[in-house]
Amino acid sequence: MALAFKSTGTRQLKNSLAKWLITLGGISVLFTLVLIFMYLLYVIKPVFDSATVEQTSHIALSSEGRTLSTGVDELKEVAYEINTRGEIVFYRLTDKNNHELGSQISSQHLISDDAEITHIVDSGIHYKLLVDSDNNNLVIAPKFQAVYTADTREIMARIDYPLGEESLEIDENNEQLKKVAFAMNSEKVVFVAKTTDGRLIKTSLLAEDDFDYDPAFEAIYQEIDFYSKKVDEILITPDLSLAFVQSGNTVSVFDLTDEDVVTLKAEIKPKTNITSMALLSGSSSVLIGDDKGNISQWFEVASDSGRDFQKIRSFNNASGESVAKIYTEQFRKSFYTVSSSGAADIFYTTSEAQLWNGKIAETAPQAFAISPRADAIVTVSNNELKIFTVHNEHPEVTWSALWNEVWYEGYAEPDYIWQSTSGTDDFEAKFSLVPISFGTLKAAFYAMLFAVPIALTAAIYTAYFMTPGLRKKVKPTIELMEALPTVILGFLAGLWLAPIIEIYLPAIFLMVIFLPLSTLIAAFAWYKLPKDIKLKIPETLAPVILIPVILISVYCAFALSPILETHMFGGDVRQYITNELGINFDQRNALVVGIAMGFAVIPTIFTMAEDAIFSVPRHLTSGSLALGATQWQTLIKVVLLTASPGIFSALMMGLGRAVGETMIVLMATGNTPILDWSIFQGMRTLAANIAVEMPESEVGSSHYRILFLAAFVLFVFTFVVNTLAEFVRQRLRDKYSSL
Amino acid sequence: MISVTPTAVADSPNKIDLNNLTPEQVALDIKNLNLYYGEKQALQNISMAIPKGQVTAFIGPSGCGKSTLLRCINRMNDLVDICKITGEINLHGENIYGRHVDVAELRRSVGMVFQRPNPFPKSIYENVVYGLRIKGENNRRVLDEAVEQALKSAALWNEVKDRLHESALGLSGGQQQRLVIARAIAIQPEVLLLDEPTSALDPISTLTIEELINDLKQQFTVVIVTHNMQQAARVSDQTAFMYMGDLIEYNDTNTLFTTPSKKKTEDYITGRYG
Repeated sequence: MALAFKSTGTRQLKNSLAKWLITLGGISVLFTLVLIFMYLLYVIKPVFDSATVEQTSHIALSSEGRTLSTGVDELKEVAYEINTRGEIVFYRLTDKNNHELGSQISSQHLISDDAEITHIVDSGIHYKLLVDSDNNNLVIAPKFQAVYTADTREIMARIDYPLGEESLEIDENNEQLKKVAFAMNSEKVVFVAKTTDGRLIKTSLLAEDDFDYDPAFEAIYQEIDFYSKKVDEILITPDLSLAFVQSGNTVSVFDLTDEDVVTLKAEIKPKTNITSMALLSGSSSVLIGDDKGNISQWFEVASDSGRDFQKIRSFNNASGESVAKIYTEQFRKSFYTVSSSGAADIFYTTSEAQLWNGKIAETAPQAFAISPRADAIVTVSNNELKIFTVHNEHPEVTWSALWNEVWYEGYAEPDYIWQSTSGTDDFEAKFSLVPISFGTLKAAFYAMLFAVPIALTAAIYTAYFMTPGLRKKVKPTIELMEALPTVILGFLAGLWLAPIIEIYLPAIFLMVIFLPLSTLIAAFAWYKLPKDIKLKIPETLAPVILIPVILISVYCAFALSPILETHMFGGDVRQYITNELGINFDQRNALVVGIAMGFAVIPTIFTMAEDAIFSVPRHLTSGSLALGATQWQTLIKVVLLTASPGIFSALMMGLGRAVGETMIVLMATGNTPILDWSIFQGMRTLAANIAVEMPESEVGSSHYRILFLAAFVLFVFTFVVNTLAEFVRQRLRDKYSSL
Repeated sequence: MISVTPTAVADSPNKIDLNNLTPEQVALDIKNLNLYYGEKQALQNISMAIPKGQVTAFIGPSGCGKSTLLRCINRMNDLVDICKITGEINLHGENIYGRHVDVAELRRSVGMVFQRPNPFPKSIYENVVYGLRIKGENNRRVLDEAVEQALKSAALWNEVKDRLHESALGLSGGQQQRLVIARAIAIQPEVLLLDEPTSALDPISTLTIEELINDLKQQFTVVIVTHNMQQAARVSDQTAFMYMGDLIEYNDTNTLFTTPSKKKTEDYITGRYG
């Protein structure tokens, strides 16, 4: 008779429906959580990938003559070479639009047929100075332009002559140049050259209007007083202010800013055999390579003896071979080194990372160029032009650069700095997560410092001493505080509380003393009050007596504040703190945040701690009291002990809330990413940092990914704290379920 | 009529006459005790003398005030805010409701064991020395000795001597209750109040506790509240029957159970209500 126990159809249906819905709900919650985690990791992962370099195509060069220089357009569709015969030839790098890959687009003769180009010098990626055997000097700029015909895009190439098509007279005496360097902007060109007769000269060409439209200029010739006849290499910074002249193993630094006289500013002696030299993007650092495969970075650092060049960090190439050439990227602090065996390395200076190493040719290439977007390199050797695609999107981010001190250009020492954006283009973004992680902990610390004593004592009083009637009113009231939008708290803290604290700073510290003291005095007075009077006041109203006491002591603190300020702090506490104590004072500081965020955290801690204390079984308290313990002893030795895991859990929840809180810290901290525990200074937290910077970060950029990383750090932190709290609470439940 | 096994105590040679106790024989002298919970009177003019070194049981139906009366003896009712008490309870001549009585000190002299075992979430050792520690006793040797003494007196020593520093919550219910008794007697009280000490225990643990109570009266005056009449009959020397806040009848256990003088007592022990 199995049918007798068969449940009816609808009931079974409802049952299984409910079961499936609940299962689905539970799983989707977990799934979402995992998905968030995975998505964060997915966005973050590329910043930690190392670079890849891959040869994508190669072209056999059809021109005669040895290639001296090469280059590629921004879209990597056209490459060019300039050879000793003075020919510039443009090649197609794609087979789009029915063209053949590697076919010539155009070629042009830049010098007279019988002359030969002796050297080509670059200034940035745009300008090239050609020097030929007839002592003709020409500055050219290969230009690329997209032309759209019949829905297809063609890249057209042409040559600009920003300083005119005539030979430039770089040397006043018209001597042949042995070594030359130049740098230019739209108003001025500076050449520094070594002539065959042994002079070191500087020539400035000042634009009459603007070199972008008009090649007319006025020349100023100067001779540089230099001790050595030998010059191996000359570099000029793109801002035209410094020249680096290598002579043997010494690099002399000349100040070029004065039009009347060129002065020797410093000498760099790396104590190695210098084989190559290059300027890092941003024009502050010089990179020096030696015969042992070491590359050192030098920049000016302010020290006790004034500003001088210091070796900041050094790198080793993988092969250990002599550094034949160093090539630097235009906009980032990456550089490439090439050795005579054709081994190449990619480094990033500030993150001190070796991003890639490998072989790109059999010997050091004759010509080497980095594409304008730094996503490809072009090399020419043995009449073959090779294109390598470079994936190196986030070289500035490494785990150690995020969490360790980094010595940035222009800084006196290594430091933890978060400075993601600024107004200028040659600015280097500084991504150290330390200041903002620190700010998060600092904000949480001060919030907890304010909230924990108040929340816990309130919880103890409410749960343990308060009459049930009053507790029923007080507890929901405090819990209601939790529903207060934090944006209101942040707004009040930033615009109302911060100025008050600034003006009445002594009052705040007086209150720290006055409030507990007056409460204790009031409690003592209540204790001493005759019983007859006490019995007339209903028990529920007794705590209300405290309200005037607190109001009076707050009033006293504020009334005493100006008096104290006049007599003890010379009339202005802010001035006193800044000048006498040497502590910076921000209006929106940790004190304001501590109070405002503490206020937001109090209900969380209070509610959970109160529950924990209140749920300590009455028979335990009675047991302790029956053994002759006082209320106080019972509280300390039994109640708090038994409730301790719950209280711990409450504190962790509070901490988790304080760490993740955004609006208050956003509005009341000043958002200064500094590393300072001072209560009078602000901070920037992970959460606020994300809120502030997400709208201005470019999708897919290093900045964008690092903000995701910040979110991930925050997520992990709150996850760990909350899990710990939950774990402890579970343990508590298991441990005391038998009570 | 309930059949009562006469206990050895009932027939002991130092049998006392409840109505003619000498001052030396009295442990607790309750005089005209009234207790009010707000407007409601829970105890009505109770007067009784509890003899020293004996087991006195309070019986009666639920809500009769037997537990309330017991809790008056160590002033546990003080914790109830709306509770008001008149009358006296004298412990060796001093009224415990007197103006200058330190309640904590009183409770050191009048120990109490509750219905449900309530060991603290600490080790067995720390549970037993709790009363000594809060008094400021920290001498290791004194504490060790007290633990052994108390656990032996509570017949628990042999079971726990090898795991004194393990959590007390790992003990069985009966063991926990004996631990609580050990904890109470570690501070050497004069009077031990037991508030239905076996109501949450199984029959075997109950038996152990009952045997323990028999031993305890060598050292302490024991007052026990029980809803179990057989238990009262088994463990007590005298029994007080309470009903609706009144002390109806107070006599030596044998007499009360065999020849009750009041109709209400007879009705109760014969099971007409309760």
